[in-house]
Amino acid sequence: MNRRHVGLIAKKELRGLTQERTILLAVLLQVFVAVFSSFLMVGLTSLYDPSALSRSVTADYGVGYAGNESPLLGRLEAANGLRVYPMDLSTALQALRERKLSAVVHVPDTPPAGEEPVKLTLYTLQNDLASSVMNVRLKEVLGAYEAELRELRADRLENTPLPLRLPPPRGAEFFEFVYGLLVPLLVLMPAIIAAALIIDLITEEYQQRTLETLLATPVTFTEALWGKVAACLVLVPLQAGAWLGLLGLNGIRVAAPVEIVLHATAASAVLVLLGALVSLHYRERTSAQFVFSTGLVVVMLLALAVPGNPLNLIARLSVGSAGAGHWAVLAGVAALVLLLGWVMTRYARSVARAFVEG
Amino acid sequence: MHPVLTIAKYELLRSATQMRRDLLPVAVGLFLLLLLVTGLVAESGMHLSDGLYTIGVDDPELAGVVAQDPRFEVYRADGPSLAGTWGLYDLVVIGGQARGAPTPRGQAALKALRNDYDGYVASVYGAEPDLFAAYPLWVDAEEVRSEVDFTATGAGQQVGLRPGTAAPTPEGIVEQVTAPPAGIGVSAEELRRELVQDASTDDRLARYTDVLQSGTMGEYRTPAQLSPPLPFDSIVLIFVFIFPLYFSSQFFMMAIMNERIDRRGEALLATPVHPALILLGKGLPYLAGMLLVSTVLILVLGAPLVILAALLPVILFFLASALLIGMTARSFKELSFVSIFFSTVATSYLFFPSVFANVHVIALVSPMTLVVYALQGTPITLPDYAYSTLLFYLVAGVLFFAGARNFSEERLFSQSRPFTRVREFIGSGLSDRHPYASLLLLSALLIPFVFMAQMMALTLFFNLPMPWSLLLLLVGAAFVEELAKSLGLYALLAKRERFRSWRVLVPAAAAIAVGFLAGEKLLLFATLAQITESVFGAVLFTSLQGLWMPLLLHLAGVLIVGGFVLAGGRRAYVPGLVLATGVHVLYNLAVLRGVIG
Repeated sequence: MNRRHVGLIAKKELRGLTQERTILLAVLLQVFVAVFSSFLMVGLTSLYDPSALSRSVTADYGVGYAGNESPLLGRLEAANGLRVYPMDLSTALQALRERKLSAVVHVPDTPPAGEEPVKLTLYTLQNDLASSVMNVRLKEVLGAYEAELRELRADRLENTPLPLRLPPPRGAEFFEFVYGLLVPLLVLMPAIIAAALIIDLITEEYQQRTLETLLATPVTFTEALWGKVAACLVLVPLQAGAWLGLLGLNGIRVAAPVEIVLHATAASAVLVLLGALVSLHYRERTSAQFVFSTGLVVVMLLALAVPGNPLNLIARLSVGSAGAGHWAVLAGVAALVLLLGWVMTRYARSVARAFVEG
Repeated sequence: MHPVLTIAKYELLRSATQMRRDLLPVAVGLFLLLLLVTGLVAESGMHLSDGLYTIGVDDPELAGVVAQDPRFEVYRADGPSLAGTWGLYDLVVIGGQARGAPTPRGQAALKALRNDYDGYVASVYGAEPDLFAAYPLWVDAEEVRSEVDFTATGAGQQVGLRPGTAAPTPEGIVEQVTAPPAGIGVSAEELRRELVQDASTDDRLARYTDVLQSGTMGEYRTPAQLSPPLPFDSIVLIFVFIFPLYFSSQFFMMAIMNERIDRRGEALLATPVHPALILLGKGLPYLAGMLLVSTVLILVLGAPLVILAALLPVILFFLASALLIGMTARSFKELSFVSIFFSTVATSYLFFPSVFANVHVIALVSPMTLVVYALQGTPITLPDYAYSTLLFYLVAGVLFFAGARNFSEERLFSQSRPFTRVREFIGSGLSDRHPYASLLLLSALLIPFVFMAQMMALTLFFNLPMPWSLLLLLVGAAFVEELAKSLGLYALLAKRERFRSWRVLVPAAAAIAVGFLAGEKLLLFATLAQITESVFGAVLFTSLQGLWMPLLLHLAGVLIVGGFVLAGGRRAYVPGLVLATGVHVLYNLAVLRGVIG
């Protein structure tokens, strides 16, 4: 195999990509995914729990308290961000309808230590996000009242859970979302894009009938294939590295960037070679893309079902809690790449031979 | 036989003969593998965030509880030695007291432990024979419909005065209500069953943000179940429905693309059949296939068949977009990238609003929310259906029209740049003899797209904290409108030399403004009444209050862009667009602050 020929083909394909500017679309896509998922996360949190964000909404919410007197009244009065008014139920509900209150609580006269449960009725507004905010704020107060009632009925309980005192966590709101989901996802996207790309590059030669022209040059079919693979692969570490850099600029520090890029590149080499094999077999984009994408879902799910898969390793590497074991996985993936590469070379030779003879 | 059916038959035969013989068995094999692997994942769980944290525990029983969470690597040691090596762990539990390392990882580990501990406590209490001793407090959540329906409440903000020291007095007539009964009216066993079911549903989402929880919304809830549940299972099912549709539309996309390779489609174009009928015939097998796949899925899942009605507009939308993408892409690479991009954007539009299905009416911008409703057993009303599907039907229709209009030799086999192609596509929709009438029609036809883009912006920005969401929405909405209005004008100016004059610009701008406003008003009254009730609606549709002011605003926007292009050539298009957007934003702000109108 002539290395210069491989490089030549790779350069040609890369030039084609930049000329069409479609690679811009791919980058845009990744930015979109990152922005959208982050927005969704930040948004959901602020929506359900405004105090989670630093610029918290500190306004008080008015709550009407109706029905029987209970320790809950005192608990509600002591809670932050709530202002409680003992009222008559009918008046309170009308005030709620006029949005002069955010919620109304009705407490029945059930004895606290009785056989029956205490059934509160909580009135909130339909289709209003203030209701979600109220739910979050009331959850804590009601939880404390539940514990108080449970204490009163403790002699009827058979088991008590092991005690554990937990200090409230400070910060780290999005830690697992960012490192456990976003980082592996962003690093994986370039790999999937590269695999889709190799299928297009190979099937296009067949379907546009440019293969004859290509084989008429001194470049062999095998060299051309490896050139295409190289063109797809070279983009992966560039994109993955750019992502990690961008995250760093955003204040999200990723612990082991070099190792992560290595894992991403190795994993995408597996996908690209699989894509190449599928397209060599089908020679037609529709079938190749279909078989490959379905196969990709199978491979990804299979990988995720195994502990210590590359995606998990990327997550662990990014928080800095991966041991040295990840090198063994990397070596395993690299061996798989070599095997697939050998298969592809063999396959390409037989295809080229058939092509020349037939 | 009707020509449409003939073409459909030909399309079926062609795709059947073109496939390699082993494709079908391979596809079946892959499908079986997929089922197998899905089962495997369900069995062993997703190992994505395994081993993120290290924890040292002195109590063996507690260690057993934590060890069930694969996110933790658990080390057991006695108290004193743990206290000495405190810094080596993210989290240490000594004598029932947890202490997290002062790092983000340590604090995140603390959060994860809290979730696990809550789950453990719930499992202990859920098994108590006397359920009402373990869970003495139950909440019956009632929703009240508000009488006031316009203000900022849609964004979770308090209206009017801050709560004062005295209890508020209602202005309306107080309707006497009887207090709800004290009894719970449901047996303890029934409640226990709900609790167990709730605990067994997937809590993977709770890992990423602990404010969301999955589960069913029973009539009574414990305080821990108070936040509105995320319809997690239904949302996963949405993907099960969307993916096959996406794949099938890919086949259609490729069938269109294939006609363009080697000018193969010439024979088809030469037939004396109208392009629209050719496209209908080519699309028919795919439409039938997608409907069939959806029906089979619904039957297999045992879901209500109403879902098919919600999926139909999505299928049509996918097919129409596939048609246009297949007609415009210059190479396979471009086809891949554009279709991946399209499917990501479309999937987010379809998927994300349904997350809010139980929280806010805004969820209805996506037909998938109807699917969630159908799965949950929430009744779907006809206005709901119209509201969430009409945009999809309209957009699909307009896209199909554009495809049929451009299904000609000149467009199909051209290799010009994407932007030029878009311009050409729009340009061929404009008549040379009646440029103003076609501009008027075009800007009215673009309205569904504008609304769709604005809804997309709404779902995106809706999530942000208050001032930002409104501000971004304001700018985004104005930009989308100005862009849509300028497209037709730009295509016209680029199409013919003789259109490039001020004498054409003014009537053209007027036609666009009238068409745009008329389309906006029509569609808005038909569908989006629900959104307009909230402050977001006010932002999106400020340019709709009154008649003359918005008309002038639209006219001014088009004139600015057109003037820039006339004076400075194509390069001035973008600056003109920015300026027009700026003017539009200022106008909307003025309306919102009550200066105008």
